[in-house]
Amino acid sequence: MILGDLLGTAVHDPDGGWLGRVADARFVLDGTPRQLLAEPRLLGLVVSPHSVASFLGYERTGLTQPWPLANLLRWRHRGSFLVMWEDIAMIGAGSVRLRPGFIRYNPQLDDRGQE
Amino acid sequence: MKRLLGVALGILTAIGGFVDIGDLVTNAVVGSRFGLSLVWVVAVGVVGICLFANMSGRVAAASGRATFEVIRERLGARAGLANLSASFLINLMTVTAEIGGVALALQLASSVNYLLWIPVAAVAVWLVIWRVKFSIMENVTGLLGLTLIVFAVALFMLKPDWGSLAGQLVPSVPEQETAWTYSYYAIALFGAAMTPYEVFFFSSGAVEEGWNVKDLIQSRINVLAGFPLGGLLSVAIAGCAAVVLLPAGIAVTSLSQVILPVAEGAGKLGLAFVLVGVVAATFGAALETTLSSGYTLAQYFGWSWGKFRRPAQAARFHLAMIVCLLVGSAVLATGVDPVLVTEYSVVFSAIALPLTYLPILIVANDPQYMGKHVNGRAVNMLGMVYLVIILVASVAAIPLMIVTGGGS
Repeated sequence: MILGDLLGTAVHDPDGGWLGRVADARFVLDGTPRQLLAEPRLLGLVVSPHSVASFLGYERTGLTQPWPLANLLRWRHRGSFLVMWEDIAMIGAGSVRLRPGFIRYNPQLDDRGQE
Repeated sequence: MKRLLGVALGILTAIGGFVDIGDLVTNAVVGSRFGLSLVWVVAVGVVGICLFANMSGRVAAASGRATFEVIRERLGARAGLANLSASFLINLMTVTAEIGGVALALQLASSVNYLLWIPVAAVAVWLVIWRVKFSIMENVTGLLGLTLIVFAVALFMLKPDWGSLAGQLVPSVPEQETAWTYSYYAIALFGAAMTPYEVFFFSSGAVEEGWNVKDLIQSRINVLAGFPLGGLLSVAIAGCAAVVLLPAGIAVTSLSQVILPVAEGAGKLGLAFVLVGVVAATFGAALETTLSSGYTLAQYFGWSWGKFRRPAQAARFHLAMIVCLLVGSAVLATGVDPVLVTEYSVVFSAIALPLTYLPILIVANDPQYMGKHVNGRAVNMLGMVYLVIILVASVAAIPLMIVTGGGS
């Protein structure tokens, strides 16, 4: 499976309720150092209930300018959350199902791109 | 002294480089049909191109990334590809129009049919891109393009009634035209002034010449002095058409009509100057648009690009440009009217404007790219105002094209 297939896939809670769609995947660089970068590790998926379009960089809290644009883009992704990879029960064709008791983490990043 | 000379050279190059076949044709068409009643659009367009050329230059200098690298990084692969397809096709249309413009101008100078000049023009463009150093290429075509000032000279020599000419400056729809055609040509003029390729070229040129933030002052002077003066040249072209062609009821449909007022006002010498100017301006723009095709493709796909590399080290970049030149020449060889291609290319440019300018505005606000050189408040406010104008022009262009039957 490639990431491009996963983006836009519907996400359901354990009871089959609609949560949104996969808008982004979050990686962390904390693996074994390679030639240029450490090996990236998939932390989890960003689920957005209203739009699967790109955040265009506005997932970082430090970006507030130009304000009409920043607010518009944030508004389109209102209610979005991050689920950890461990909280994902199954990834099928056309649907992602989460485990019972999954936690909605804040999808925003701080200025340095850290959680 | 050397620094002053550099600034002067930069400004002169910006003036000469501002006008291309789109500006020549659109301004003459508008002048011959609407007089000077659409000059305000040129002013709006010039402020816009100054704003976004500056912004893209600052992004390039601060982050080392040219515009399409930024688009790819910010929009992602899929949306970036959609953007590339639209931008690239419109750019290719502009390449075609510019080569056609060179050929038409050479036909006027030589009486040899323009179709025979097309391969000559295309090969000449390719040779310059292949061999000539970036800065020399820029300065020579820019300085030769300055001879288009003869439009302003001719306007004075035509001794128009300045009072009535100034009276035309008020935005109003002439009797024989409708509000629809007026709006359609407003968008065409706006698209001609703000063509996206100028920003692709400007930001990639900044990388070619290895700008850093210290060079930003010089580039700002070049843009802020050069582009408005280039805009004045555009107005002079419209003015000549308004004085000579509008009263005679001649609506411009060919390049010979664009330069007719110069021949009438400034005689044979003026004609010689304007022919040199048109060839230089369209040839310079043909270089810029062809390079822009290579830049956008290479920057999206991550190929190595740039004239600062030897062609063998940027093989796909150079091959892409050769293919573009061949496609453009092939389109012209079908006998399609280059002036018509130009008229459509400026309107399609207007449609594609948000694709280019939105990502630049977003990245120019991103401290991860820009450090402390992010946009200030005033620039952002103006940027948002222009984003709205650009969106309105983009959305309105196709319906207006249908309603007016392409402006006829």
